[in-house]
Amino acid sequence: MAAVQTDQITLSVNGQSVTVPKGTLILDAAKKVGIDIPIFCSHPKMAPVAVCRMCLVEVEKMPKLQPACAVYVAEGMVVKTVTEQVNKYQKGVLEFLLINHPLDCPICDKGGECPLQDQTFQYGPGASRYEFQKAHFDKAVPLSDKIVLDRERCILCWRCTRFSEEISGERELALIQRGVHTIIGTFNDEPAQSNYQGNWTEICPVGALTARQYRFISRPWDLDRTASVCPGCSMGCNIQIDARNNRIGRFQSRENLAVDDSWLCDFGRYSFPNFQRKGQERPRVRRNGSLQEVSYEEAIAFAVDALKRADRQVAGWASPADSNEELFLFRRLFREVLQSPHLDHRSTVVADAEPDDTTLPIADIERCDHVVVLGGQEVIDAAPVLHLRLLKSQRKGVNVLRVGTGELKRALDGVPAEAEAVGILATEASKKAATDLQLRLGKKIKGSVRRLLVTTGPNGRGAKDLGILPHLGPGYASLNGQSGKGRVEWPGAGLKALYVHESSPLHGFTPTDAESMWLPALPLLIVHRFTASPLDDLAHVILPGHAFTEKDGSVTSMEGRVQRIRKGIDAEWVREDWRVLQDIANRLGASWAYDSASAVTADLVASLPPYAAALNTAGRVLWSEAT
Amino acid sequence: MAVREVLMGPVYILRALYTTFKHNRRPIVTIEYPEMQKAVPPRARGKHILHRYADGLEKCVGCELCAIACPVGCIVVEAAENTPENRVSPGERYAKRYEINLLRCIYCGMCEEACPYDAITMGPRYDLADDHPDKFIAVKEDMLEPLSASVGDTAVPSGAPSAQPVARKW
Repeated sequence: MAAVQTDQITLSVNGQSVTVPKGTLILDAAKKVGIDIPIFCSHPKMAPVAVCRMCLVEVEKMPKLQPACAVYVAEGMVVKTVTEQVNKYQKGVLEFLLINHPLDCPICDKGGECPLQDQTFQYGPGASRYEFQKAHFDKAVPLSDKIVLDRERCILCWRCTRFSEEISGERELALIQRGVHTIIGTFNDEPAQSNYQGNWTEICPVGALTARQYRFISRPWDLDRTASVCPGCSMGCNIQIDARNNRIGRFQSRENLAVDDSWLCDFGRYSFPNFQRKGQERPRVRRNGSLQEVSYEEAIAFAVDALKRADRQVAGWASPADSNEELFLFRRLFREVLQSPHLDHRSTVVADAEPDDTTLPIADIERCDHVVVLGGQEVIDAAPVLHLRLLKSQRKGVNVLRVGTGELKRALDGVPAEAEAVGILATEASKKAATDLQLRLGKKIKGSVRRLLVTTGPNGRGAKDLGILPHLGPGYASLNGQSGKGRVEWPGAGLKALYVHESSPLHGFTPTDAESMWLPALPLLIVHRFTASPLDDLAHVILPGHAFTEKDGSVTSMEGRVQRIRKGIDAEWVREDWRVLQDIANRLGASWAYDSASAVTADLVASLPPYAAALNTAGRVLWSEAT
Repeated sequence: MAVREVLMGPVYILRALYTTFKHNRRPIVTIEYPEMQKAVPPRARGKHILHRYADGLEKCVGCELCAIACPVGCIVVEAAENTPENRVSPGERYAKRYEINLLRCIYCGMCEEACPYDAITMGPRYDLADDHPDKFIAVKEDMLEPLSASVGDTAVPSGAPSAQPVARKW
């Protein structure tokens, strides 16, 4: 009898005994023993509403069928999910849902991955008894420039409106009218403004909400799916690159509870057109003032000759969207082969990088008492999915303070002295204010204060970890007085060459005013990049490289999580970036012998042990434990 | 023995000639292909036809069910959205690209079965020989009913071969 007193509850589902914590839904208890209950409106991230009635199950001693998605388990409950009555109700519910559903599956983007299709097939009646005209609603309504709404297909599960209310907190979508006239829409039919609209299409259990960019591009079974990481920002949200005929059709989210909580922002999700390859490109070198197409061998030889003439006066800029493998080789090329310390990945001056910038993991935001968002919207703009995490934390009772970077006093006053765990979120640019606040809060409160800095680019953290900085080596090691010059100091530093490497147009080298004056006079500019960049006109050597979505490797998110990126698009005529770097290094006298990107990874983790543990578990780099 | 064979020779010849000329009186079963073509049964599965509605709009919506039903994977479909300026089919979606590799096709008719709009049927044409593999990739225009033929939305398209001389390019 002791078991009854604990928080564990034992019930029986289809004759199988299952023990779950108190407050579990029948649906989840059944899932635990592998029993599938059909659902439409229920979503694990949102509160139950039980509007679709698809999940009705029989519970002993209850007179009517109960919705499994809204009834909590009780001790000794006897649940039956497969009985004659349940089957009859499931058939009935589906028949009702399909009465006005247009059944235009052949032209519907959801067709093939549609829960309504699947469940009709599995549980539904084979035919409808409804003989009258279906009710017609508006089709292909543009809800915004990103989303198309088909009101006929909508089964009114409320998932999108609940997302808008509970998850993104924007309350943009609402149910309008009553009864059979109910439709989904925005206020006054104004275009939706949310930055999280892509998630609506993903949670929609029918084809009512579809993405404008993916419209009629492909059927789900045509897609080549590749697990990767979003190239949008440093959040490191897990995505799936869905490509057809070697062109990206869409980015879909891949749930990682520690990072994205299964959501993506529209900036990242709809950034994929930036990574579409426009035709085949060959390397080019500038001879007599004009660019000429040559082979890779020729271009590399040309670059190497010019690099030799530059004699250590070479600067290197690698984009914070490059993979760790490329950054590793890039650093070795400069520090070991070219013997030049002038390395950078940043666009503007930022404060010192240190491993302490990642002490607050994203998932721990929910477990803090108080979270200070230093810079408010600035931080959210730099990593939009953080907003959803912050809202979720707020719902859990975390006090989220959004203050400006100059309002440290407000933040200090907002956190009481008895606080146990405090988190600070800030962008890289306001690092000084963040460390300042951390120090002062640390003195005031009795608990711990941790911070998380939002870096620029999907691998901004990796670039710092691997030493793509003028003053720090890999693992934030000091360079013992051999510091080079950072990007802002390059104009006027007497440099003779610049090597720019970038693999994402979102995080490329955009010349500042001072650089625009300096670059045309530079004797050698090597641009190793994925797509046409503003530097092309000035470049002496252009080496086509792979895009973020076209290569294997790893990237480090802002919280120091090392995650794999994978080749979603095949561009085999482009020489791999690591191979080009190796060819250049070897022609300059090195003897590197990597034969694959994973060989580079192996060498990387051997030289930087904290990365080994992080890569194996897709976990965070823990610098302090390693030392 | 040999003398008897020699004497009977003309008899054997006449007997053989009888067999030959006997067939003169029988009906002719061969036709002069390719100048003439044989009528095929109504359900014969020859080269595919993409149909149109009576108003000339294409029936195909580019749903790719034919492509997924095809046991040999010889159909490629890519869809696009109809716009008021470029209306190809009545609904929202049409097939921008529709290709069948006729060399790979086994003429099983599964595409026809799968089609929810009766847009594709197996036609009566079987004279598909050509001189280069590339010429066996039938594109949409090769299979679409001519606009004039679609009026009335007949199940059997006009222009079906029969045992009549067919105009030839050569």
